[in-house]
Amino acid sequence: MDEKIVLALAGNPNAGKTTLFNALTGARQHVGNWPGVTVEKKEGTLKHSNREIHVVDLPGTYSLTAYSLEEIIARNFIVEGSPEIVLDVVDASNLERNLYLSVQLLEMGAKVVMALNMIDVAEGRKIRVDHSRLEELLSIPVIPTNGKKGVGISELLDRAVHEVEYSNDKPRSIIQYGTEIEEELSKVEEKLDRMIFRLGKLSNRWIAVKLLEGDSEIAKKLDGLEGRDRILAQVEQSRRHLTDIFADSPEILFTDARYGFISGAIKQSVHVETADRVHLSENIDKVLTNRVLGPVILLAVLYSVYLFTFQGSEPLVDSFETFFKWLGNLVSDAMPEGMLRSLIVSGIIDGVGGVLGFTPLIAFMFLAIAILEDTGYMARIAFMLDRVLRGFGLHGASMLALMVSGGIAGGCAVPGIMATRTMKEPKERLVTILVAPLMNCGAKLPVYALLIGAFFPGGKAQIMFLLTIVSWAMALTAAKIIRSTVLSGPSAPFVLELPPYRIPTLRGLLIHTWERTWMYVKKAGTVILAVSIIIWAMMTFPSLPAEQAKSFDQRISKLSSEFLALPTAHELFKTEGDLEDFEAFRKQLADGKAKDAENQKPEFLALAQALGYESKKLKIDDSRKAAMAQLADSYTRYAEEKNSLENEKQSAGLKHTLGGRIGVALEYVFKPMGFDWRTNVALVGGFAAKEVVVSTLGTAYSMGEVNRKEAVSLAERLKTEPGWNPLLALTLIVFVMLYNPCFTTLVVIGRESGKWRWSLFAMVYTTTLAYCMAFLVHSVGSLLKLGV
Amino acid sequence: MNDSTSQEKCSDCPAMIDKECTVGDMVKLSSYRPGEKGTIMQVCGTPEFRLRLMEMGFVRGTEVKVIKYAPLSDPMEFVIKGYHITLRRDQAGDIMMARPEKAA
Repeated sequence: MDEKIVLALAGNPNAGKTTLFNALTGARQHVGNWPGVTVEKKEGTLKHSNREIHVVDLPGTYSLTAYSLEEIIARNFIVEGSPEIVLDVVDASNLERNLYLSVQLLEMGAKVVMALNMIDVAEGRKIRVDHSRLEELLSIPVIPTNGKKGVGISELLDRAVHEVEYSNDKPRSIIQYGTEIEEELSKVEEKLDRMIFRLGKLSNRWIAVKLLEGDSEIAKKLDGLEGRDRILAQVEQSRRHLTDIFADSPEILFTDARYGFISGAIKQSVHVETADRVHLSENIDKVLTNRVLGPVILLAVLYSVYLFTFQGSEPLVDSFETFFKWLGNLVSDAMPEGMLRSLIVSGIIDGVGGVLGFTPLIAFMFLAIAILEDTGYMARIAFMLDRVLRGFGLHGASMLALMVSGGIAGGCAVPGIMATRTMKEPKERLVTILVAPLMNCGAKLPVYALLIGAFFPGGKAQIMFLLTIVSWAMALTAAKIIRSTVLSGPSAPFVLELPPYRIPTLRGLLIHTWERTWMYVKKAGTVILAVSIIIWAMMTFPSLPAEQAKSFDQRISKLSSEFLALPTAHELFKTEGDLEDFEAFRKQLADGKAKDAENQKPEFLALAQALGYESKKLKIDDSRKAAMAQLADSYTRYAEEKNSLENEKQSAGLKHTLGGRIGVALEYVFKPMGFDWRTNVALVGGFAAKEVVVSTLGTAYSMGEVNRKEAVSLAERLKTEPGWNPLLALTLIVFVMLYNPCFTTLVVIGRESGKWRWSLFAMVYTTTLAYCMAFLVHSVGSLLKLGV
Repeated sequence: MNDSTSQEKCSDCPAMIDKECTVGDMVKLSSYRPGEKGTIMQVCGTPEFRLRLMEMGFVRGTEVKVIKYAPLSDPMEFVIKGYHITLRRDQAGDIMMARPEKAA
């Protein structure tokens, strides 16, 4: 078999590139990052006419100047990755602007095959594209396609393989820039030829064009080469010459000329029957971005995303929780008590389960975001809200980053911060990066869900809605303050395409949702597993010194012997073993699964009944009722004392561990908010990842249980825990919402801003803000006696 | 509309087209009302901004139609070269246009 063909997929955003990529590669795709940067790189392979084709999806761009990182990545791959062929995806219904990128690809000298995509949409709009005429004009294969239905894919691949096998590399100069410019171009090109300069497979004509356009990225490629200075001097002279003649800068002249060429090509190949016809999409927009209706619908859409996410995912979330509870019980039963069981049950299953249990919720949220993106409504959100965001020193494009970060609760600040790469203006971009972690990311949701479920069970969706408003208010205020202090300056341009509304493909939505959810699960499965184990160890070691443990044990056994010494008790419980048997039976009763009730001693049944347990199997024995009631009293007193002693022991043990010590030390700091040391340990764990807050709380409380079978869910536990009330829950929610970004986010902030001090800044300002706001909430709440 | 504001704009226009820019009958795109259309005469602003806009199709001689204003009157939505795009009002002010005509 012949060598593998590398095919680069290029095209404008919204040209249907992703759909075509999915149609080409199907499930055989892999998502990663471009080397050294965090822009997503999708790759996939396929076989066609016995050739293996490796498809690389380039970032969607409008042009190939060095305007944004995406454009540089796309360009560098074509230059240095040397793909055998570039597949240019153009939107047939929006051909003119799409051809601007195509023309640049041709100028580069790359072998190009054009997919005239969304041909169905164009036909629906009565736009007739004569693709064979276009083929002649551009001298490349042009194939009409419909990515959604897979129309034209096979022919596209035939032509691509044919092109790779038979066509020669031919330097293309499809655009003639006019005598004056051509003269200067050939001067530069000639100098390049003379120094035998080569950049990949690219033509020196293209290099000359880029140099005359003043492209600094390309000029850098000449660094260290002999003759560099001579070339740059020529470029400088030519640029000045052209500027003098045309009274405009050369890059503008080139752009003008390219669009001039495109206009000509369009006139010859495209026929539009009804130019001013109003399309369906515009009619939809008459309602959706209407001055009055638009904002109302916007709020309604955001609100229904909550309902969809929370109520839609509820059954699945419940069944996940049940599964992990079942798994924990299974392991508890199968393994002997000890360190290993504690590690597996309390460390791993509780920790990872606490996070994975929320996977359905995250998946529903990603699905909702994918729908907003793929239908085109996301751009309308930015359109309607830009005026508001600008007031806070942000940008319409910040909207997307903030949304992905959790503007609609459930995103993640990491991809959100990466989404700021489309923003050119460094200050607005940096502010967006810095406030993005304040949004309600998916990792904070488990904390909210836990506390809302426990303390505000009646109003889940309403409280979540309120929390979203709070996080937006905080992010906007923080942005405003940062933009008017640390990063002051004027705002950057806002140039945003409003793509036509489209019905998304189910497949596209599912792939999108799956990829993002899988990223979340991977994070939960790796980082969180490691952190869960570390946290478990922090909360297990060092263990209570032997003498202290012994003294507790002695006090407990003293209680038991005192109880057994009672005459009424002694009659029933001859030994301590009998007492243990009864306790085990009572626990089974409490769990409602006393299967062997009839095998128990009749006295046990009678006592259990006197203690208030009801069961058909408990036979009434009137004669002993009075005596049993008395015994039940003493037993209850004994059980309570014993229980509190055991709790005291566990408490002392936990406090003795490393985690406990940190938590205790922090009690002084968090005293005004009323967080106890267990909450503090959870918050410390949250420095690594917010997901850990819930799992640490879970670990902290489940470790306090004697018997796992008796363990009630964490929410139930918190509800009955002294000191916990709705106000404390709300205070904790506010603190978790705002404090320190997770470790991964801090790394991304450092990398994206290029300076680690911004990570440090983010850490300090968010935690300070969180402390102040939590203090405020708690003080006001206490003062007004709300939720105490 | 040979008014003082368009002259001010041109004085710091890096396009070196000061003379052209003050020639009468040019209005800013931001003065267009929804439903009006017209032809681009010149794009001003910083070199980077001009290039970006031109790459998106805002080149001389192109027809622009105003579709609507956003709910807070800013930004504005346009159709250019058959697609929809949004710009802020002050950016639209950097685009000098022929006098508007009512779109069909």
